[in-house]
Amino acid sequence: MSYGAYDTWWWPFLFILLAGVIPTTIWRWAGVILVGNLDEDSQWMVLIRCVATALVAAVIAQFIFSPSGALAEFPFELRLSAAFAGFFTFLAFSRRLFVCILVGEAVLLLGQLLLFS
Amino acid sequence: MTDPESPDISGAYDWSWYWRGMRNVFSLPALILISAFVGFGGLAREAGIPLLELIFMVPAIWALPSHLIVVAGILTDAPLLAVVAAVALAAIRMMPMTMALIPEIRAPKSKTWHLLLVCNMVAITAWVHTLQKAPEIPRRGRLPYFAGFASILMCATTLVASIVHQLAAGFPAIIMGGLYFLTPLYFAASIWNTSRVRAEHLALILGFSFGPVFGYLIPQAGILMAGLVGGLSAFGFHFLTRKWGNAE
Repeated sequence: MSYGAYDTWWWPFLFILLAGVIPTTIWRWAGVILVGNLDEDSQWMVLIRCVATALVAAVIAQFIFSPSGALAEFPFELRLSAAFAGFFTFLAFSRRLFVCILVGEAVLLLGQLLLFS
Repeated sequence: MTDPESPDISGAYDWSWYWRGMRNVFSLPALILISAFVGFGGLAREAGIPLLELIFMVPAIWALPSHLIVVAGILTDAPLLAVVAAVALAAIRMMPMTMALIPEIRAPKSKTWHLLLVCNMVAITAWVHTLQKAPEIPRRGRLPYFAGFASILMCATTLVASIVHQLAAGFPAIIMGGLYFLTPLYFAASIWNTSRVRAEHLALILGFSFGPVFGYLIPQAGILMAGLVGGLSAFGFHFLTRKWGNAE
């Protein structure tokens, strides 16, 4: 049973529902059930926030270390330097989002245009 | 939690915050997420996915890594169970994310089914933005604010992905790459700003560092392992420093 298995109008939608929607959202429901009435100031919340943050950080790392699609056409060294340049400028000055984005993008795009093309 | 004297739920939330959430469609985080879906619309077209399926997929799945896996599964005509397994593994992060958000946005009269409904909108952008804003919003306004922001994001990203899907020509690779790169930059900076205790900063650094290591060691579950090990280590640090702090 794959996406191309049945030649009916509804199968692709059912496929997306079974393969994409349910295995994603079931974890959200599990989160609601498991958290119950846990207090937001409890130490469990610190643990949960730490794990959630580290998981998202690992997703961020994937954009830099093993991206798919158009980002893969930029060299790894450039992706890493651009991310570090953006993030450390952000940390050093003001903690404003647009600083991180502006510097990171500038290094990525200028680097690609000047050094690698 | 529930008040037997007032069975109606009309007073549980302050829905004026729904509109304030929606207004954020013109904010930086919203523009960044919308840019990411420019890339996804192009990818879906290249994969030969029809427009209606794209329109169904974007808000119903509502997690970009899951979208990408499903599209890859469609492209390679992979068996359903293989796609289910890959998506389920990639989406585990939704559980701790939801668990972190719910106590913040729950109102005193929130019922579990309200939360089960609204949690379907949990994804990184609206999640981190709401965690950041929640302290400034009255209790009864938080769930509506989150739902408002997330639902306008769903509409805007679906619209933009559909438009790109219908365009005849693709964008140059350097522009697509630049748009994709907005996402990691935004996630890193906004999560850093949202953290309340130092352990969360440590979790961000450890998760980022362990990501490629575990990705290399266990390609199928690299993100999951990096998240678990990084998050637990950061919490261990928090626990120990608190203990030592109290002992003084």
